[in-house]
Amino acid sequence: MTDHEYPNEEARDRLTRRQVLHGALAGGAMLSAGGLLAACGGGSSSGGGGGGGGTAKSSPPSTGTLKSGGSLKVGATGGGAKDTIDAHLPTADTDIMRCWNLYEPLAVRPPSFGPVEMMVAESIEAEHGKADSWVVKIRPGIEFHNGKTVTADDVIFSLQRILDPKNPKVGAASIGYIDIKKVKKISDSQVRIPLKFANAGFLDDLGQYFNAIVPTDYDPKNPVGTGAFQYVSFTPGQQSVFKKFPNYWQKGRPYADQLTIIDFTDDTARVNALLGGQVDAIDNLPTGQIAQVQGNSQLKVLISHTGQWQPFTMRVDQAPFSDVRVRQAMRLIVDRPQMVEQVLSGQGRIANDMYSPFDPGYPTNLPQRHQDLEQAKSLLKAAGHSGLTVQLTTAPVFQGVVQAAQVFAQQATGAGVNVKLQKLDTGTFYGPNYLKWTFAQDFWATRMYLPQVAQGSLPNSPFNETHWADPKFQKLIQQARAELDETKRNQIISEAMTIEYNTGGYIIPYFSNQIDAYSAKLGGFVEAKSGFPLGNYWFKNVGFTA
Amino acid sequence: MSRFLIRRILLGLLTLLLVSVVVFAATQALPGNAARAILGRDATPARLQALTEQLHLNRSVFSQYFSWLGGVLHGDFGNSAATQAPVSHLISSRILNTAFLVLVSAIIAIPLSIGLGVLMAVRRDKPTDHIISITTLALAALPEFVIGIGLVLLFATNVWHVLPAVSIIPPGEHAWNVPKVVVLPAATLIIAVTPYISRIMRASMVEVLESDYVTMARLKGLPNRTVIWRHAVPNAIVPAIQVSALQLAYMAGGVVLVEVVFNFPGIGSALVDAVGNRDIPEVQALAIIIAAVYVVVNLIADVLTILVTPRLRTAAAR
Repeated sequence: MTDHEYPNEEARDRLTRRQVLHGALAGGAMLSAGGLLAACGGGSSSGGGGGGGGTAKSSPPSTGTLKSGGSLKVGATGGGAKDTIDAHLPTADTDIMRCWNLYEPLAVRPPSFGPVEMMVAESIEAEHGKADSWVVKIRPGIEFHNGKTVTADDVIFSLQRILDPKNPKVGAASIGYIDIKKVKKISDSQVRIPLKFANAGFLDDLGQYFNAIVPTDYDPKNPVGTGAFQYVSFTPGQQSVFKKFPNYWQKGRPYADQLTIIDFTDDTARVNALLGGQVDAIDNLPTGQIAQVQGNSQLKVLISHTGQWQPFTMRVDQAPFSDVRVRQAMRLIVDRPQMVEQVLSGQGRIANDMYSPFDPGYPTNLPQRHQDLEQAKSLLKAAGHSGLTVQLTTAPVFQGVVQAAQVFAQQATGAGVNVKLQKLDTGTFYGPNYLKWTFAQDFWATRMYLPQVAQGSLPNSPFNETHWADPKFQKLIQQARAELDETKRNQIISEAMTIEYNTGGYIIPYFSNQIDAYSAKLGGFVEAKSGFPLGNYWFKNVGFTA
Repeated sequence: MSRFLIRRILLGLLTLLLVSVVVFAATQALPGNAARAILGRDATPARLQALTEQLHLNRSVFSQYFSWLGGVLHGDFGNSAATQAPVSHLISSRILNTAFLVLVSAIIAIPLSIGLGVLMAVRRDKPTDHIISITTLALAALPEFVIGIGLVLLFATNVWHVLPAVSIIPPGEHAWNVPKVVVLPAATLIIAVTPYISRIMRASMVEVLESDYVTMARLKGLPNRTVIWRHAVPNAIVPAIQVSALQLAYMAGGVVLVEVVFNFPGIGSALVDAVGNRDIPEVQALAIIIAAVYVVVNLIADVLTILVTPRLRTAAAR
């Protein structure tokens, strides 16, 4: 305000009625404009907040046949300059999405997590009824994108490439027990794979998306595989384009003519792209948006009940967690239903400190743990750690992980335990101190028991966060691996799981749901217990409805 | 004038050199290295070793910097640690996209802001001035990503569906091939930048309109339009030029928040990604380019200031 408007200084400094009215009007206009814009359109009046609740279900799939043709655009989470299209190096979501569509392993578990399905292989059998040597028979007539038929040489080359000691790939840890020097070509279509020790879980380890079969002249700059879609272009950090492979071994697939995978680092941008129609499907829909998407008649939500788990990890070889009573007390602190409500907005189900829920050996006779603060306090007292103070190292490595840490810290006060949170960024968390944190968290995909144990519960596992090294447990695993009879193997697995249930280093409060969204024009998406978004990323089964 | 220019250019090059050293040191100081960043959780000791050797990360810090500097002096910015392709591959299209976005935004924002500033000053204390003033103040208070999301809600997803919500540019093409995707990001930048330039223009115009020579011009009987545009604006425009330069450099620095909201493939998100990947060649290249833009834009602003101010024109010649 300029000087000539006021008779004197005092008058100028006082807030006049006019100023107050102006200010209130402007403020009110801004607030209501924001609210109006958000509430406009979309239909749902809940304004997108509040989450879907535990009873939210996937939208009913489209009935009717899927027509051939069309261009499918999918929005993927994350990605950046280090995106890769190499068959054996997928790390980020975007890489994994590409892998599932461009390449195929010998066999793989389907989205329903039922029995392993054959892909490039026609059969994989244990030789002579023992689990230490396996014979792979290649599917007759299966071709690579360049027209070459898949032969035993290609299978052997792929295994050697994965296990190359000078440049080991993602799968090297999972199939490292293959005796690569003794792998032999029996015929053009058969390979013998001897193992360094018997392992009935070999099919699961071999059948992973990162163990795909590539030709002997494989060049990542011009990638060739056996998948339903073949390579057109790849721009790291932005998008990759694929087109239909006309000679795909599964007749009638894929439906779509073209597949474009677009990277989105930001959740809001990804959801907006779906709402605005720039993409036809997205993975990882934030729980706060479920209501809004379900209220939109042009969109559908896909909710999968998976076995993916984000545990708290306690190092069993370091104080105070070296005392099993402290570990048991910590497990009793968790109010599991409250965690599912607060951390996952109800999108998950409570767990019982054991992983691999879909393994047939998962014990059904063990009681479900509930929060028991009194028992926790008495256990801590017996261990001499009443009023314990611990540091919990957390990072946003997966949705809900940091929030779970905060909820746990709050729940722990009820047992007199003081949990100090150390929040790091993902890069620092997975830096040189990864696998050395005393009390931290992590995330795991859905796996059957033996493959998961190989990855995280044995002394030589690549990701043994808890440094778990129980000799009785290891003996049971060895027995289970050698046991080809399913019923007997399941019994041994139940015993091993029970040991972990009683004395292990993990706190596993819940299994989280996987939530994705797609346009109502599409059909063919199925729920995936594996936790891989959009039905194991199997876009070969997705098409536009007629 | 030419001595002035040469001196400024040399100082600019020195600035770029210093920037490269500081950025290199800062990125090296971050925990972890490119190999760890690429492998992430899967950084088993064997894979980590193999990748570290492949990327030559086990050389000394000085060796890495000087080999990089040597390459730059030959025009080779090195290979990106994340993609192992030449750095120019990844950033050339991003630079072009950001340049196009900034150009479009600047071409609209600068004349618009100057016009608004003049309008507010001429209609000082009247309703027009108050309305524009309060609106620009409110918009300046909002962060860019709020403006961006507001525009998306309004034009792309909730109210009207006339513009794309995200900027998806097909591979091999650039932002100017798909102009529709540039509209909302440019609008966001224009709205973010206009308040500052227009308010400074207003303040400066108000002062000039009170001066003696403007009163003299009016008393002479010159038409109002002539008084404003031929006599007042050229004298009032210098602060606006300086602010415009700063805003231009700010936009060119890659407005990361706008790029994130619209998924726009520009240099801001490339830089953030490169830092996360500890991809030193990439980070260096982008930092140098952004610093160069600052230097050039400020130089142009200073030259324009001299041209517009006769006093300085003759002073510089001395």
